[in-house]
Amino acid sequence: MSYPLELKDVVKRFGGLTATNHMSFEVNDGESLGLIGPNGAGKTTIFSLIMGEHRQTSGEILCNGEDISSLPTYARIGRGVCRTYQIPRPFSEMDVLENIRLGLMPNNLWQMLTRNPDRYREIELALSVGFSEDDLHRHPAELSMGDLRKLELARTLATDPSIMLLDEVFAGLTAGEIAQIAELINKKRAEGMTLIIVSHDLRSLEPLIDRAIAMNHGSIVAEGSFAKVMADPDVRASYLGGE
Amino acid sequence: MGIRWQHIALWLAFIVFMLALPELVSKGTLRTIIFANFLAIFAISWDVLSGRTGYISFGHPFLVGIGAYTSAILSYRFGFPIAASIPLAVIATMIGGTLFFLPALRIRGSYFALVTLAFMELMYQLVQVIRPDLTGGTRGMSGIETITRGAVNNYYLSFSLMIIIALAMWLVMKTRLGTALSAIGMNEESVRGSGLDTTKLKLAAFMIAAFIAGLGGAFYVHYLGSIAPRALFDINFLFTIIVAALIGGASTIIGPMIGAFFLTFLLEYLRPVLPGAERYFIYGGIALILYMYQPKGIYEVAKQGWSRLRAARAGAGP
Ligand SMILES: Nc1ncnc2c1ncn2[C@@H]1O[C@H](COP(=O)(O)OP(=O)(O)OP(=O)(O)O)[C@@H](O)[C@H]1O
Ligand SMILES: [Mg+2]
Repeated sequence: MSYPLELKDVVKRFGGLTATNHMSFEVNDGESLGLIGPNGAGKTTIFSLIMGEHRQTSGEILCNGEDISSLPTYARIGRGVCRTYQIPRPFSEMDVLENIRLGLMPNNLWQMLTRNPDRYREIELALSVGFSEDDLHRHPAELSMGDLRKLELARTLATDPSIMLLDEVFAGLTAGEIAQIAELINKKRAEGMTLIIVSHDLRSLEPLIDRAIAMNHGSIVAEGSFAKVMADPDVRASYLGGE
Repeated sequence: MGIRWQHIALWLAFIVFMLALPELVSKGTLRTIIFANFLAIFAISWDVLSGRTGYISFGHPFLVGIGAYTSAILSYRFGFPIAASIPLAVIATMIGGTLFFLPALRIRGSYFALVTLAFMELMYQLVQVIRPDLTGGTRGMSGIETITRGAVNNYYLSFSLMIIIALAMWLVMKTRLGTALSAIGMNEESVRGSGLDTTKLKLAAFMIAAFIAGLGGAFYVHYLGSIAPRALFDINFLFTIIVAALIGGASTIIGPMIGAFFLTFLLEYLRPVLPGAERYFIYGGIALILYMYQPKGIYEVAKQGWSRLRAARAGAGP
């Protein structure tokens, strides 16, 4: 039995600091997993390891049973894993559609050179994450935090992932924007997307996940249903101590 | 719609003007323009790599030098026809350049710039000591076969070469490849996060830059008819290329062209006033002021002026 994504005894050290301490967990096909924990718990590091932006010190990361630990980032994205960033990273001198164009590009120089961008798909993606027609030619400097997060989602969706890792998707958003993005996530869940969602906004997170993992100091503290994890005394302690 | 036609008309007018130029100006001015054409080629080459991806190359004379020396040696020492020596020189520039720059593609920022600068210096030293019977050592070579004779012919040749390269690059940069290269300059991590192999992209940018630099270098040496290491692997030459691209407008095609002409004529008009190296001091100052006023270069200044003019005209209309 292989999982869309599986971590086996993964360790990551930054010098003397252990950001990931023998973590093992897996995500089921079509499941939405919430990853919670106080600041510095190591949530973002897990995403960076899965994407190959950092290399683990030891342990294995499997994607559909294949060890992807030594693959470069683009090859992992080619296998259907993609992430968003806690701090959005748009291309500052490109408009919304051009930003999405990057996600749609094939990793093939000849095709990049000879085939035209798919304008229709770019617009479709932009509208699907909640941009209006007027936004399509705006530049990142003119966008709100909510719009920047939508742009991240659109560029990530453009790579045609089957597993999405969403880092702090609700941070810095208005209630209206949160509702909009929650609706989008639920739509993707209904379509069968496998998700790992990191969020400090537990109330917004709860209805979007099937299962939760709480971590602190790079280790799993509790795992199970959201209610069960939140009832765990260690989780409560780490949140009270951590924030 | 209207703007597109105006663009094409403007370009046609420009090309007709440039073709008629030998009738309008002196031979001396023509020779200045020939240099500007070559400088524009080198600046376009620099811009493909550094203007777009943000990897600042301080080693461009190194690439131009491989192209120039290879073609010069093949034709002067081994009697190759120019029609063969130039393509071989371009290939040599792409291969030799890639070998040297491959490690440099793994590092970033000022380290990249310094490594490329080191290559230029290394080349300067090597050319003088390794096989001086081939390279001509410190004194270089003279009496190299030229493609054509006279200022007018050389003007047409260099201008055609420059325009063809500019047009080709304009077409390439309009594709998604061009978009991806510019994206690297804005945020390399995000390009990687979009599923693209940035090493491959940077290598492509480098190969294109090397192709143009090698081609320009080879044609240049067969225009000059001579070559000397100090003239090529020279920090002033390097900065003239970079400043031409920056001052004209990096990340565009027309910018480096404007910059090359601006700088060449600036240096030329300063020559009677300041014959020595102080000229570079003055031009450095002027470049700096222009750059501080508008980091996007002369092209941006012109564009803004143009749109202001249009707005004023529209406002004055009935
Ligand atoms: N590149 C790095 N170099 C050194 N230390 C790092 C690096 N990245 C993260 N860390 C450290 O690893 C630990 C985990 O960081 P991480 O960003 O994964 O936490 P997080 O759970 O995402 O926190 P937050 O909720 O604040 O986003 C922190 O102590 C952090 O300082
Ligand atoms: Mg984080």
